[in-house]
Amino acid sequence: MRPPERPLVRLHVVTGGRAHPSRNVFDLVTLVAVARPATTGLTPEQRRVMELCRGGALSVAEIAGHLRLPVTITKVLLSDLVDSGHLVVRSPAPSQRPSAGLLQEVLDGLRARL
Amino acid sequence: MEHLSLLAFVCASIAFFAVSLVLVRQRRLTARLEEESALLAAKLTARDQALNHLVAVGLPQVMASPGHPPAAPHRGLLHQTDFARDLDAVTGMFASAADGIRSHADKSAKGTLRTMMRTVQSLANEQQVVITEMQRRHDDPAVLEDLLRIDHMNAQLGRRVQATAVLCGSWPGLQRQASSLDDVVRGATSRIRDYLRIKIYAEPNVAVVSRAVEPVVLAVAELLDNAARHSQPSTPVEVNFQTTHNGLAIMIDDAGVAMDAEELQHAAELLDGRRSVDVHRLGDPPQIGFAAIGVLAARYGFRVSVDSRSPYGGVRAVVFLPSELLTAVTREAPPRFEAVPAAPVLTSGGLPKRRRQEAGEAGEPVVSLSAPAEPARPEPSRQKAAGLGAWQRGTRSGRAGSPSASEEKDQR
Repeated sequence: MRPPERPLVRLHVVTGGRAHPSRNVFDLVTLVAVARPATTGLTPEQRRVMELCRGGALSVAEIAGHLRLPVTITKVLLSDLVDSGHLVVRSPAPSQRPSAGLLQEVLDGLRARL
Repeated sequence: MEHLSLLAFVCASIAFFAVSLVLVRQRRLTARLEEESALLAAKLTARDQALNHLVAVGLPQVMASPGHPPAAPHRGLLHQTDFARDLDAVTGMFASAADGIRSHADKSAKGTLRTMMRTVQSLANEQQVVITEMQRRHDDPAVLEDLLRIDHMNAQLGRRVQATAVLCGSWPGLQRQASSLDDVVRGATSRIRDYLRIKIYAEPNVAVVSRAVEPVVLAVAELLDNAARHSQPSTPVEVNFQTTHNGLAIMIDDAGVAMDAEELQHAAELLDGRRSVDVHRLGDPPQIGFAAIGVLAARYGFRVSVDSRSPYGGVRAVVFLPSELLTAVTREAPPRFEAVPAAPVLTSGGLPKRRRQEAGEAGEPVVSLSAPAEPARPEPSRQKAAGLGAWQRGTRSGRAGSPSASEEKDQR
């Protein structure tokens, strides 16, 4: 799963030299989902994002992991896709807190590992 | 008395006859001598001229065109004379001596250049690895943007060095995995100055075999750079693909100025790659692009031509990749999302596994941020887990590449 040391396609080509996302709505857990499945006119990375999201909403961190791109670069791609109407942002609703049981499971798991 | 006068007459006649005879002979002799002298003078002039020609035209021509001794047969007076043969011998000796010196100088210059380029190339490669690591480590857009610029410049530097090294007989370096043609062209785009002007149309579903990836990337990069530099900064450079029965052609069209016949011939000679290129004759500033492409094309078995016109009046460069250099694309299948089990599944580390909500599973439209979701509806627990699971997996995969980086972050 370790990314190749020197990818053939450099990042400046992926985003056109930009590292600032056009919108500031993304953090690692922001979820995005497909709004318009058309992929014409998209770059290969953007097409791959659309492919990934076709199965359901995905978080920014996951998309970055699948694309093997830095999170900031992924945010640039995602905000372009949101701008063009291909994706929509779904932030986890603030009201829905994880259940105590789940948190307990996470805690147990972490304890078991550390 | 009569006898005396008769005798005198006879004597005079004989004397006259003799003198006449002598005179006639003398005259003939003179004429012949004059003729001979004229011939000799002409021969001398011819020799002078031949020598002059040798010094002024013949030898410089031998110097200028390596491996092509001028075949100028001596006509007229010098035809098949020893002098002509000797002159030819001198020219021949001069040519072979010049060739020897030239190839020796070329070899030693290439050797020096190759060694120098190898050092710079490995430095550029190391730098690229460091830049790649930094790009993964720094989240700040301002820092990242600067890193992108540095990476871009480093890629150009690497390309120039690589092309020079290839021209000097070095290998392009770096064995890559078989890569899709799309990645190959975009990889080439990464290495040129005006990368934003490159427009790639269509996505052929083929890949280039491992050993040919780097050479093809380098050749395409040189052609793209050439196209971008010889056209207006506001015009795009288009890349199209055409599948043929025995391979695939990459076509690069610019909207610049077309090449004239002489330039085309020179370019064709360089791109052919069968003749060794003299590093001393690359011009000032040295033009290594076509020469390097020629070397690569001959070595790896693809063809490059620039003799057709682009639809926009500029040059259309065509890289023809034969079927031997192509292979099927192996794309990563999009991750499959398993059905949601009733009981929580644990990861190998003992943590609850992230479960993903299938979009459109219940046929419901995706809710956008602006449209408020129904808060009253009880959310399934798997959706709650999604956020945490995503955070966990994302962090892990994001940091998998640089363990030291993650430790650093944790300490902060």
